[in-house]
Amino acid sequence: MTTSSILTPPASIPAPARRGDAGGARLTFGRILDAEWTKIRTVRSTVWTLASLFVVSVGLTALICLAAAGDLGEAGNDEPVGAFVTWGLMFGQIAALVLGILVATSEYASGMIRTTLAAAPRRWSVLAAKATVVTGLLLVLGTLTAFASFLAGNYFLDREGIGLSLGDGDVLRAMFGGGLYVAVLGVFGLALGSLMRHTAGAVTVGITLIFVVGNLVNLVPGAFGEWLTKLMPGNAGSAIANVESFNPDLLEPWTGFAVFAGETALLLAIAGWLFSKRDA
Amino acid sequence: MGRSVAAMITAERLTKRYGDKTAVDAIDFTVRPGAVTGFLGPNGAGKSTTMRMVMGLDHPSGGGVTVNGRAYRDLPAPLHEVGALLEAKAIHGGRSAYNHLLWLAKTNGIPRRRVDEVIGLVGLEAVAHKRSGGFSLGMGQRLGIAAALLGDPGVLLFDEPVNGLDPEGIRWIRNLIRSLAAEGRTVFVSSHLMSEMALTADHLLVIGRGQIIADTDMADFIARNSAAYVRVRSPQSGVLAEALRDRGWRIGRDDDGALKVEGATPEQIGDVAGSRNLYLHELSVVNASLEEAFMRLTADSVEYHARTDQPVPAGV
Repeated sequence: MTTSSILTPPASIPAPARRGDAGGARLTFGRILDAEWTKIRTVRSTVWTLASLFVVSVGLTALICLAAAGDLGEAGNDEPVGAFVTWGLMFGQIAALVLGILVATSEYASGMIRTTLAAAPRRWSVLAAKATVVTGLLLVLGTLTAFASFLAGNYFLDREGIGLSLGDGDVLRAMFGGGLYVAVLGVFGLALGSLMRHTAGAVTVGITLIFVVGNLVNLVPGAFGEWLTKLMPGNAGSAIANVESFNPDLLEPWTGFAVFAGETALLLAIAGWLFSKRDA
Repeated sequence: MGRSVAAMITAERLTKRYGDKTAVDAIDFTVRPGAVTGFLGPNGAGKSTTMRMVMGLDHPSGGGVTVNGRAYRDLPAPLHEVGALLEAKAIHGGRSAYNHLLWLAKTNGIPRRRVDEVIGLVGLEAVAHKRSGGFSLGMGQRLGIAAALLGDPGVLLFDEPVNGLDPEGIRWIRNLIRSLAAEGRTVFVSSHLMSEMALTADHLLVIGRGQIIADTDMADFIARNSAAYVRVRSPQSGVLAEALRDRGWRIGRDDDGALKVEGATPEQIGDVAGSRNLYLHELSVVNASLEEAFMRLTADSVEYHARTDQPVPAGV
C-alpha cells in the first residue's frame, strides 16, 4: 500500500495525554451544559434572534408610546397607560419562541443531533442542558429588553405628565416578569421543536397556538370560553410581563405565570419522553 | 496504556423492525480489534441501521449490541471509547469547523489542544475558522473524521466513508483506516462496493436483507472467489478432462457441461488437446471478479432489482 498520503501521513496519530483511558473524563451534566452553551454562542442565528427580540420590543414600544402619549394624557382617557410601556414585547416575543425552536430543530435539519447523541447518549440530560441554556440566555435578555422598553416608552409618557415610576411594584414586577415570560416561552419553543423536529412546522404551530388561537378562543361562548382564554399559554403567561393588561379578564400575573410554566413543563416532559424513546 | 483486549463490538440477535418490515433480522456478529472489518451489502441491506444501533441512536426491536461490553448509552465517556463517521456534513453550516469540534470536545472533557491536533491531522488548518456551510463533501468528510478521532477512541465506525470523494480523498481515507487498525484499534467500515472492501478490509461481514450472509476472512474470500479459469468445450470432453487431469490441473464442470480448468493457460490446454487430436469448440479465459462473487452472494437479497436483462413481453 502506498504511504505517500496527499495531505497528512496518517501513519502516526498523535494521542492526547489520556490514551483511550476515560479516567477523569466522564460525561457530566456540567460538560453537556458547557457544550450546549458553546453551540448556541457559535451560530449567527442566535445573535439575529436575540437582536430582533430587543430591537422589535424596544422600537415598537417607543413608537406606540410616541403615537399614543397625547391621547393617553387627555382627560377622560380610560385606556390602561401601564399596558403601553412593554407593548412591543407582544411582537418581540416571537423571536424568543423561534430561538427555542431552533435550538432543537436546527440539529435535525443538519443531522447533527446524531453527533450530539453519540457524544452524550443521556438524552434527558441533553434536553435539560438545552432548556437551561435557553432559559438563562432569555432571562437576561428579556429583562434587559423590558427595562429598555420601559425607559424608551416612558420617556414619551413622561413628556405628557403621565409617566410611570420604576419604583412602582407592578412596574418592577413587569420588568423581571418580561425576562421570566420570554425565558419560559423559549423553553416552550424548545419542547415544540423537539417534538416536531422541523423548523417551519414548529414555528407555524407555535405562532398559531400562542398568538392566533389565544385570541380566537375569545369567541367561544360562555364560561368555558372564558376559562379557555385564561388558560391559553400565551394569555396566561404574558400577564406577568405587563404592568397592566388590555384584557381585564386574564388571570392574575403570578397565577397566570404559574399556569404557563406548568403547561410548558408538561410539554417539555412529553418532548423528553419521546426524545428518549424515538430513534434519532 | 495499551488497547484493551475487550475493545470490540458484539451484536446478539440484533433486530430492527419498522412496522411489519424487518430491516435487521436477528443478526449476530463480533468486530475485533487490530483489524479492519468490512460491512458489505447492497443499498438498503441494513448497514446504516445496524451502525446506528451500535451507536445507541436507534433502539433495537430485539436483541442487543454492546461496545466494549456495555450498551452505548452506559459508556461513561463515549468519545474516549468510540468514534464514528455516520454521515457526511452532519454539521451546522453556520458554525466553523473549530467550534464544531470544540463543543464536541467539551461534552467529554477533552482538552482544547486536542481540537487543534485533530484539525492538523485531517489537514483542515486553513479553513478551521470558516463557516462549515461552504465546505466541499471531501472537507466535510475530513471534519467528520476529525470528530471521530477527537477522543482517541479504541473503536471506530465509518459508514460509507469514501462515498462521493475524489480519488485523492479515497486514498487518504483508505490509508487512515488501515493505519488505525494497525495501531490495534477496532475498525468497522461499511460499503456497498466489494472492490473498496477488498482494498481495506481484513475481515468481511456481508449483509443482505437484514441478515448476515457471510462472515469470513477477507483473504479466504478472495482466494475462493477471484480465481480465474479457462473454460473449455469439446465433443470429447471426457477424454480431454482425463488428459488435463493427468497434467495436474484442477478440472471442474460448468453448468452447461463445459470444463473449468484451473492452473493452466489456454496455450497449454490447446497443446494437450492438439497432441491427442481432440477437437475444441471453445477455449476462453474467465476472470471471476470479487464484485461478481459479491453479486452472486447477494443476488437473492437485493432490495430493488433493475430489470434491464429481461425485456417485458409486449402485449402483456
